[in-house]
Amino acid sequence: MTRLIEIEDLAVSFRTDRGEVEALSGVSLHLDEGEVLGVVGESGCGKSLTALAIMGLVPSPPGRITRGRIAFAGRDLLGLDEAAMTRIRGEQIAMIFQEPMSALNPVFTVGEQVAEVLRVHEGLGRTAARERAAQLLARVGIPDPARRLGQYPHELSGGLRQRVMIAAALACRPKLLIADEPTTALDVTIQAQILALLADLQREFGMATMLITHDLGVVAQVVTRVVVMYAGKVVEEGPVEAVFERPSHPYTAALMRSIPALAEGVSRLPAIPGTVPAPGAWPRGCRFAPRCTHAVPECGAGVPPLYPVAPGHHAACIRHAA
Amino acid sequence: MPPDAPLLAAQNLAKHYKVRGGGVLRAVDGVDLTVRAGDTHALVGESGCGKTTLGRLILRLVEPTTGSIRFRGEDLLALKPEAMRRMRRHLSVIFQDPYGSLDPRMTVAEIVGEPLRIFGQGTRAERRARVEALLAQVGLTPAHATRHPHEFSGGQRQRIGIARALALEPDLVVCDEPVSALDVSIQAQIINLLQDLQQSHGLTYLFVAHDLSVVRHIADRVSVMYLGRVVEEAPKAALFAAPRHPYTRALLAAVPQPKPGAPPPVPLAGEVPSPLNPPSGCRFRTRCPVAVARCAEDDPALRELAAGHRVACHLAEA
Repeated sequence: MTRLIEIEDLAVSFRTDRGEVEALSGVSLHLDEGEVLGVVGESGCGKSLTALAIMGLVPSPPGRITRGRIAFAGRDLLGLDEAAMTRIRGEQIAMIFQEPMSALNPVFTVGEQVAEVLRVHEGLGRTAARERAAQLLARVGIPDPARRLGQYPHELSGGLRQRVMIAAALACRPKLLIADEPTTALDVTIQAQILALLADLQREFGMATMLITHDLGVVAQVVTRVVVMYAGKVVEEGPVEAVFERPSHPYTAALMRSIPALAEGVSRLPAIPGTVPAPGAWPRGCRFAPRCTHAVPECGAGVPPLYPVAPGHHAACIRHAA
Repeated sequence: MPPDAPLLAAQNLAKHYKVRGGGVLRAVDGVDLTVRAGDTHALVGESGCGKTTLGRLILRLVEPTTGSIRFRGEDLLALKPEAMRRMRRHLSVIFQDPYGSLDPRMTVAEIVGEPLRIFGQGTRAERRARVEALLAQVGLTPAHATRHPHEFSGGQRQRIGIARALALEPDLVVCDEPVSALDVSIQAQIINLLQDLQQSHGLTYLFVAHDLSVVRHIADRVSVMYLGRVVEEAPKAALFAAPRHPYTRALLAAVPQPKPGAPPPVPLAGEVPSPLNPPSGCRFRTRCPVAVARCAEDDPALRELAAGHRVACHLAEA
C-alpha cells in the first residue's frame, strides 16, 4: 500500500479572549491510497479541525498551525502557497460536509455549481461541462438529472443536496475524499442510501476516504481502519474489527459500552461520568483520566503516547506501556 | 377516571395546514394514540412523518383540525382557557435543543423556578427550596442556581431543561428528541436520568425520537409514523423482534449496526413523498417492496394482529 496522507504531530491553536487555546495537540495519523479511514470522536475532539488542516482551511486568524507536518502523496501541504493549495483542493482532495445547504451557494443552480468545478479544474467549455455535470448527477443517483441541473439547492431534499455535493466533489476524480459527518443530518433510510452510494463510488473510483463521524454504527459498517480522538489527541487507532472487539483505550471501551445499540438487554446504560472537556480546559496528563474508571495517579504525570496493542493497533493508555 | 383507563387517548387526530398558493399539508392525518400511565411510549419515524406535530397537538401547543384528546379522563380540547391553564401543570415538555430552549438572560434558578412562579406555587423561600431540590434530582448542585445557561455544557443544559419540566410535578412529559443533540458519551447519562426520574416521580413519557437504538432501550410501546399516519404500533419487544409493516422493517434494516461484519444497512429506495400530495391508498406503497394493486386503492386501517400489536397494511397477517 502506498501512503497517501501522513500527518505528524499536528497542533492547532486559536487566539481567544482567554489567550491562545490549543484545539489540536499533536495528532499523528496516516491514510493509504484507496483506504477508508474512520475518524471518531465527540464534539471538540478535533476530528473536523484535522480535516480542515488537511484542506488548508483552518480559519487564520484566529487559528494557527503551531507545529507538525502534513504530507500528501509525498508533498508537504503546509509549505504550499494558496494557489497551489487551491489546485490540490479541487483536483486531488475533495471534502463534503454534514449540511450540504451551507456548502452549496444558494444563488446558483445545481448545474452551475457542478459545472464550475469542471470548467475551473478540468478546463472544460460551457457545454461540455454541463453535459459532464448531468452525467455526474446521474452517476450519484439523482433522478431526472437534466431537470435538476436547472434547480437551486433549496428546491432539493437533504438527501439530493448531499448527492449534488458528492457529484461536485468527485468531478475531478480526487485521490482523497474527506466526508465530515456526511449523513448526520439525514434520515436513516436516506443515510443508508448515501452510505451505499459512497461505498459504490469508492470501489469504482478507488479513492481513499476519510470519514469523520460520531456514529459507531456508521464506522463499523463503512471503514476498514479507525482512529478514535478525544480532547485534541488520538487515543486509539487500529483495524475496525480489532477496535470493536478489543477496544484498548478506556475511552473507546467506555464509549462502546454506553451506546444503547451495544447495551442490549441492560436496564441501565453504563454511562461515562462527567463531561467532554473543552479546549483550554484539558486536564494534565491523560485527558480522559478524570472520567476513567481505571485511572491511577501516574495518569496525571504526562500525556501517554500511542503504545502498540497488536499489529497496527495502538492505544494511548499507560496500561499498555511495555 | 376508571383505574385502568389510559392516561392519554387521542382519536382520529389531524392537523392540516393551508399552504400559500393553495393545497393542504397533512402533517398529522388521522392518528389514534393511547398512552398508559407509567409507560414510555415512543413515536418514531423520519422527518416530516408528523411525530413532532403529534407531540405538540397533545400539548395543545397546536390546535388540531379534527379529533379528540382525553387526558386524565377529561376532554382536553373542550377545556376553557382557565381550565386548560390549570391542566397544563400536568403536561410538560423537554425539547431537543438545550441551547435554544433556555433563555440566556435568566439564571438557572429563574428558569427552573419560572413554572412555580407562574402557577403561584408557595412563597419565595419555598420556591427557592423547591428549585434546589429539583436541581439535586437532576444531578446539579445549589451552586449552579445563580449561573446562566451559557456556562453549562449541552448535557448539563438538558438537565436544567428536565428540572424545569418537572417543576410542577406533571403526569405526562413529551420528550421531543431529548438526547439527539447531545454527545454520545452524554446521551447515556441523560437516558439514565430520565429513567430514574420516571421511577421516582411516576412519570409517563411520550418519547419522540428518530434514533431507534435509543427507543429500543427506553420505550415500553412504540408507534411508527409515516406521512402523518401511524403505520404500526406494538409493545417494544414485539416491534423489534417481529416488525410487521414493510416500512417498519425497512426502517430497522436501514440502521447501521455498530458491529463490524454485521449485515450492512439496506437502503430503502426513493424519498418520502410530499405531505401536500400523499399517494392514494397506502401512503407507503410508492416505496414499498411488496405493494400490490390494492394498495393504491384502499387506505389500510390499523388492524390488531396480535395482542396490542396493530398494523396498517393489507398484506400483514396475524
